Amino acid sequence: MSNVLRPYLSAVRSTLTAALTLESFSSQVVERHNKPEVEARGSKEVLLNPLTISRNENERVLIEPSVNSIRMSIKIKQADEIERILCHKFTRFMMQRAESFVVLRRKPVPGYDISFLITNVHSETMLKHKVVDFIIQFMEEVDREISEMKLSLNARARTVAESYLTAFTS
Amino acid sequence: MSVPEVYSIAQTPVTCHAFNANRSQVALSLNDNKAYIYVNQGEGWAVTETLAEHDKAITSIDWAPASNRIVTASQDRNAYVWSQSPDPLTGALVWKPTLVLLRINRAATFVRWSPNEDKFAVASGARAIAICSFDPENNWWVAKQLKKPIRSTVLSVDWHPNNVLLAAGSADMKARVFSAYIKDVDKRPTPTVWGEKLPFNTICGEYASPAGGWVHAVGFSPSGDVLAFASHDSSINIVYPGGPTIYNIRISTLPYVTLTWTTEGSIVAAGHDCQPMVFSGSEAGWALVGTLDDTTSGGTKFTAKTGTVGRLNSTAFNTFRNADTRGHAGGGDVVGDTELLTVHQNTITSVRPYEVGRDGAVKRVSTSGVDGKLVIWDVAAVSVGGVAGRLGAMRI
Amino acid sequence: MSFRKIDVDAYDEDVLHESELYEPDPRDSAQVLSDTKQQQAAVRNSLNKGDITGALNIALDSPPYGLGVEEAKNLALQTVVSVLNSTKATDIPNVLRSLAQNEQDTLMKYIYKGMGMPGWGDVSGSVLLGWHEKLTEVAGTGCIVRVMTDRRIV
Repeated sequence: MSNVLRPYLSAVRSTLTAALTLESFSSQVVERHNKPEVEARGSKEVLLNPLTISRNENERVLIEPSVNSIRMSIKIKQADEIERILCHKFTRFMMQRAESFVVLRRKPVPGYDISFLITNVHSETMLKHKVVDFIIQFMEEVDREISEMKLSLNARARTVAESYLTAFTS
Repeated sequence: MSVPEVYSIAQTPVTCHAFNANRSQVALSLNDNKAYIYVNQGEGWAVTETLAEHDKAITSIDWAPASNRIVTASQDRNAYVWSQSPDPLTGALVWKPTLVLLRINRAATFVRWSPNEDKFAVASGARAIAICSFDPENNWWVAKQLKKPIRSTVLSVDWHPNNVLLAAGSADMKARVFSAYIKDVDKRPTPTVWGEKLPFNTICGEYASPAGGWVHAVGFSPSGDVLAFASHDSSINIVYPGGPTIYNIRISTLPYVTLTWTTEGSIVAAGHDCQPMVFSGSEAGWALVGTLDDTTSGGTKFTAKTGTVGRLNSTAFNTFRNADTRGHAGGGDVVGDTELLTVHQNTITSVRPYEVGRDGAVKRVSTSGVDGKLVIWDVAAVSVGGVAGRLGAMRI
Repeated sequence: MSFRKIDVDAYDEDVLHESELYEPDPRDSAQVLSDTKQQQAAVRNSLNKGDITGALNIALDSPPYGLGVEEAKNLALQTVVSVLNSTKATDIPNVLRSLAQNEQDTLMKYIYKGMGMPGWGDVSGSVLLGWHEKLTEVAGTGCIVRVMTDRRIV
């Protein structure tokens, strides 16, 4: 599986590296403010073309760069109803604790499951390539996490069903 | 090959730096609302004075070498000119601010003294450049604005050696050359390649990079006849106004944000790929020569890593595992290292001439970076081989 | 209360519009479409001869961009993808190295455009990802930066 995953992650990695060329940029719309332009969308010229990287219809990443911030949204693979529920619970758990993750956005962009917002302050205080590493690692582990949860959920369901049905066998 | 002088100034980003005339002092902005003056104490640099008057982050500093005045620009929409005067109580020399009437309503982003030091230009987010000259009657600096046809934040400016022409790069993807002629200050300028009659706000040229991108840095060559600009599409452009002939060099790494001319035929540019690069050429053509940051001569950065006991941790194993699971394309043991192979560990914010030789050529340049480092490089120490090696080592 | 939602900044006289950020295509839309159709035919020709590099050269020449040429844009994407799909994985690095910088940048634009619409036509994610990886190795991250900054969206 990882052999198929590799080109996908390396495309995300190189695109993210190219997008993380941020600088401090004071708003030209509101006086004395300095806000992420990708969220404010006040001036078109400081936004760059958004790029999508996709493996298939169900797994894709959207990267929206701007002069002082980038927004990155991930659509996580959801093959069936259980995975959909697990994915929803999992991302909700994380986003409710967004401040501990620093770069996590509290709400995903429509059409995606989870979004990150990286500003120039993050790229100044943290090492850029480590931020990229973190996101790649997240992408890599979220799939595994969800499939593990699905397995343990299924195992538990089987045990419950077995012990319930033993009542009828005797 | 000489090793660059590296000074770790702070843990915070160094937004900009400006040395005084004899390079014994440097004014820095550490990404906050104060400007710090550091004095060279042989071994390193120490803060001697703090210039506190702004209330938002300082974006740019320039130190006039002959008249020994500092000008600072900040995101609080103000600029101050600082000059040294004796304190009435102690008699010691202290820096005193003078107000500048900029009349802009957005952040000031960049400031530079003119070559004669009687004017300075402040770029701003108000889609304007303020050209400031001193008004002795009121004891303040007054501004005249260059507005048309700028459509977005001006990111950088540079003066022509004749004290009249000004180049500006802005976020509307254009580099422009303006006339900043002020009647009471300037003598009538002699004709240049950029134009003959130059009343205030004449546009002598407007250039853009083919793939667009904000123009982060502009610079006139020492003679003033050639203009170079670096834009966000990872390219630098060199403009000969006669034709006009524009050379566009696209590079394969991240964009540059700052550049300086060292001679009439060479440029040092630096930015998001954390190393100063040298370009050279003439009217016949331009090309990338190499980097000043030769990692192989540093020799200190490769520390042997000890493997964890009981775990398979060989380099080759790690390489394959990383390539497999994380999409690491590049070289060896990259996981776990927090250090880049370059001297600067993060974006270089500004590169400026440090030492000028007798023939007018720049011998050494200084750079400051987001990693809080101040580095002085020998321009002659270009390593050509380093580029290929580095591009291989750079993880993409 | 709908007046509260009016974007007042859009009525500023010196507001910058999207269309002012790039030079418009000098050709009119009918001309662009017929040019693209010709390119498609020429590309098929080269592909039949097995000349991948030649086919890519034709396909990446003067791509349609700007407003009102959606049909030509889709056609051009199909043309490029047909070349990408018919290239053997081992040939990719050599083909890429023989492209000019301009063509590499344009190819990268099409790769991202193709990935932006998965499941459309015969666009396959894994083929595009393979090309993306090889192209990044040859042209570096600068190539990706230029896709982001260039407003002449294909």
